[in-house]
Amino acid sequence: MAEKITFTVNRVPRTVEIEGWEKLIDVLRDQLGLTGTKQGCDDYSCGACTVLLNGKAENSCKVFAKKLNGAEVLTIEALAQGTKLHPIQEGLIEAGAVQCGFCIPGIAMRLYSLFERKLDASETEIIDALEEHLCRCTGYESILEGAKLAQKKMKAQN
Amino acid sequence: MTLKYVGQNITRPDAVQKATGKALFLADLKLPGMLYAAILRPAYAHAKIVSIDVSEAEKEPGVVKVVTGKGCAKKHVYGDNIRDQIPMADEKVRHMGEALAAVVATNPHAAKEALKKIKVQYQPLPVYVQALDAIDPKAVPIHEKAGDYWHLPCFTPKNGSNLANYYHLIKGDAEKGFQSSDVVVEGEFKYPFGSCAAIEPHGSIVWFHEDNTIEIWSSSICPFIIREEVARVYGRPESDVRVHIPEVGGCFGYKSDIVVEQTIAYIASFVPGYPVKWVATRKEDFTSTLLGHGMLIRMKIGAKKDGRLMALKTTVYHSTGAYSDTGVHVGNAAAHNSGGAYEYPNCDLETHLVYTNTPPIGAWRGYGHPEAMLAQERLIDILARKLKMDPFVLRDKNYLGPGKETALGEKLWETNGDIRKCVAIVKKAVFDKPKPKEDADYCYGRGFAAVMKSPKGAPFSSKGAYVKFNADGSVVVNCGGAEVGQGLRNVVRLVAAETLKIPPERIHVYTEIDTQFSPWEWQTIGSMFTKQGGRAVMRACLKAIEQMKQTASQALRCDVDLLEYDGEKVFLSSDPSVNVPIEKLVRGYMYENGMTVGEVVQAVADARLPRYSGYDEKGQGSMGVSYTFGAQAAEIRIEKKTGKIIVDHFASSFDVGRVIQPQQIRGQVTGGVVMTIGAALTEEVRFDKDGKLVNPFFRTYRFPTIKDAPKRQTVEFVETPGTIGPFGARGIGEHPVIGAPPAILNAIYDATGIDFFEIPVTPEKMKRALDAKADGGKR
Repeated sequence: MAEKITFTVNRVPRTVEIEGWEKLIDVLRDQLGLTGTKQGCDDYSCGACTVLLNGKAENSCKVFAKKLNGAEVLTIEALAQGTKLHPIQEGLIEAGAVQCGFCIPGIAMRLYSLFERKLDASETEIIDALEEHLCRCTGYESILEGAKLAQKKMKAQN
Repeated sequence: MTLKYVGQNITRPDAVQKATGKALFLADLKLPGMLYAAILRPAYAHAKIVSIDVSEAEKEPGVVKVVTGKGCAKKHVYGDNIRDQIPMADEKVRHMGEALAAVVATNPHAAKEALKKIKVQYQPLPVYVQALDAIDPKAVPIHEKAGDYWHLPCFTPKNGSNLANYYHLIKGDAEKGFQSSDVVVEGEFKYPFGSCAAIEPHGSIVWFHEDNTIEIWSSSICPFIIREEVARVYGRPESDVRVHIPEVGGCFGYKSDIVVEQTIAYIASFVPGYPVKWVATRKEDFTSTLLGHGMLIRMKIGAKKDGRLMALKTTVYHSTGAYSDTGVHVGNAAAHNSGGAYEYPNCDLETHLVYTNTPPIGAWRGYGHPEAMLAQERLIDILARKLKMDPFVLRDKNYLGPGKETALGEKLWETNGDIRKCVAIVKKAVFDKPKPKEDADYCYGRGFAAVMKSPKGAPFSSKGAYVKFNADGSVVVNCGGAEVGQGLRNVVRLVAAETLKIPPERIHVYTEIDTQFSPWEWQTIGSMFTKQGGRAVMRACLKAIEQMKQTASQALRCDVDLLEYDGEKVFLSSDPSVNVPIEKLVRGYMYENGMTVGEVVQAVADARLPRYSGYDEKGQGSMGVSYTFGAQAAEIRIEKKTGKIIVDHFASSFDVGRVIQPQQIRGQVTGGVVMTIGAALTEEVRFDKDGKLVNPFFRTYRFPTIKDAPKRQTVEFVETPGTIGPFGARGIGEHPVIGAPPAILNAIYDATGIDFFEIPVTPEKMKRALDAKADGGKR
């Protein structure tokens, strides 16, 4: 049964009609055209679809759309301001963490969630956060380096 | 040679689009009127299809069409090497991931729901998961008439047998070699089924247009093969089939060769006028695309007391899956590369490529090399023990290099690289310091593996490049090479910049492949893009420079060979003040009165490996042509309580001829190493006796997370220039995955005195072996 939900996506209020089976990722990608959020698995294990839901990093393939009324969602599309990249994006690019890039939007949102909450996160905490994500290209070295570079840049901006 | 741009860490052209989520991958594409397909997979791995009833499914909401494979075996057979594949099961099913029926609907959910209403009756047949079972003469043939399929003359499928191909290489006389050996060692090694498991699953969109043209989008690295094969099957001119390749989210091998495209084309052919989209679920990406490996390797090596290797006997049993077209070269490559980095004067190498009721095997980064070198590098360590010789000394006596000859019969030269320099780097990083002493919690080990990799290509394989100068002197370069994350666009940009003497920021590189506009390329495989594609770019750039000089010779009224080019102008070598800036040459040179002469500056070139051949009657031939050598080593720690193996430090060194972009090449190595730390310690695609793939999810097919990656990787390169690639560069994409499993298994022996002959060595297996050893082998 179709029903209507109203929630905020990237600071803009949106009302969409959804079916009961639809997940947040389906609404973002298929209805709102926000294809930066990627789907890599069926069992909530790869982290590619990570977005911010009410300020917290969440797998968007896990959340039923019907539960979204009144929610605030932030996706990778909202991270850069116009052509000005977010320091997290800059850090990942400069460290060479972007190879195929399919895991990068999810990782960027995870780091955003972490650093917004705790800008002085320790390396262990960064690694704990990144453990939620699978990358098949990099061996993670450049991702960790990019995360630390992003943290440094964000601290410098503060 | 001092280079200005090659060797610089410039930002890759696709980085910003990917980091902002704006880069478009297959799943992101939406076309007008798009319909969605879902595919039914069989309940049996080997069975006759008695009946398929789609009547209920056709009535489901949103359903546009239900498709079965009935009759398709008569007209839709395809394959590059052996035409043993069909787009959808017809009369029988051969593995559980096969397409059995499909629903086309207005949305993906409706399509999936309707699949549940399709009723199928089967008559089950015996299921074979492993080559050794399927090869039994009493086994039911998975393809009754394999011998009747069209195939390249060098392959040997037979009617009534599951032996899809038999390959045999003979060099010298192996029997005599073993007779003259003082020591012989042997072992049986297992490299199990694996998945490339790129984070982006496979997917395709196919659109049969009303004007009889066909348009395809796919997450693939072989657009031109797709075009050729789809055109052939549907009887259209190749020029009427247009294939687009958007960004590809990782490949590692299994998006090469035609994989899912024929199936989606077949489905779409039932709803002409509508684009039909299908994206694999992760489960389907495991069960219904291509797997890797699946090899059992028996290997025997003989040596003199002084360590000289005398003979090699390798027998590969390759469980190649239900269709052999994509596995046949992998199996052959495992045999003919099984000598690894060493010269064996006498070789007897064979591969039994066997049909099994499992998904087809295809390319998996390394293409036969990782499997063969697991066996070779483990046996060399075992041989060294038997000879009571330092394994580094034993290896050093036998390395391939200038004046030596590979199993294929190819001679090597200094320009093939210097393995000893790579070994020295890795040895220094890992072995030239004391090993930590065993403590209460851990035992420690170090292991080494030498690496050899040759491409596995095809004699006709070539890569094209198109270079176009713009009116402002900036440049566009277009190639057919698929960017899958490896960073080839930056290679193109740097090679063009260096050759044209123009800064990289004034060189724009193509962003997608479209067979309507892209220069022809066979497919982007075998770690060959830098070498071949880079060479093509270089050749096209040199042609463009020549065009500018030709025009300038008219403008300046002098012979062309008196002119030089410096990236900004063409000038008279004896008097550089006599010159024309390139902006005045790129559209031809215009005299003051407006008359214009000379060609528009745009050039096309391609490049292939020189004298690449097929097999001769001894299974030999010029099938390496370009070799890359390297060395890898692991420092590990084994937790005694749990059997968990932790790789603390991993070192790699390769003679790549020339580093084009330092950050990217390091990324290739660190990524490859972690990928096969997974193969060595956790990854295995498992089947039950009924042929069901039991772990088609990332939670159960465990590949390394950041916590499984080594804390430290040493990555250093040797640069002995080669003669084929641009500025001496060789390939590196696949090489880093080859040495990790044998190096880690050799390190396990070093730590525990336990020899493993198969991977993955999971904590459970390690713990069991440690306990058995503690019991003095009583368990």
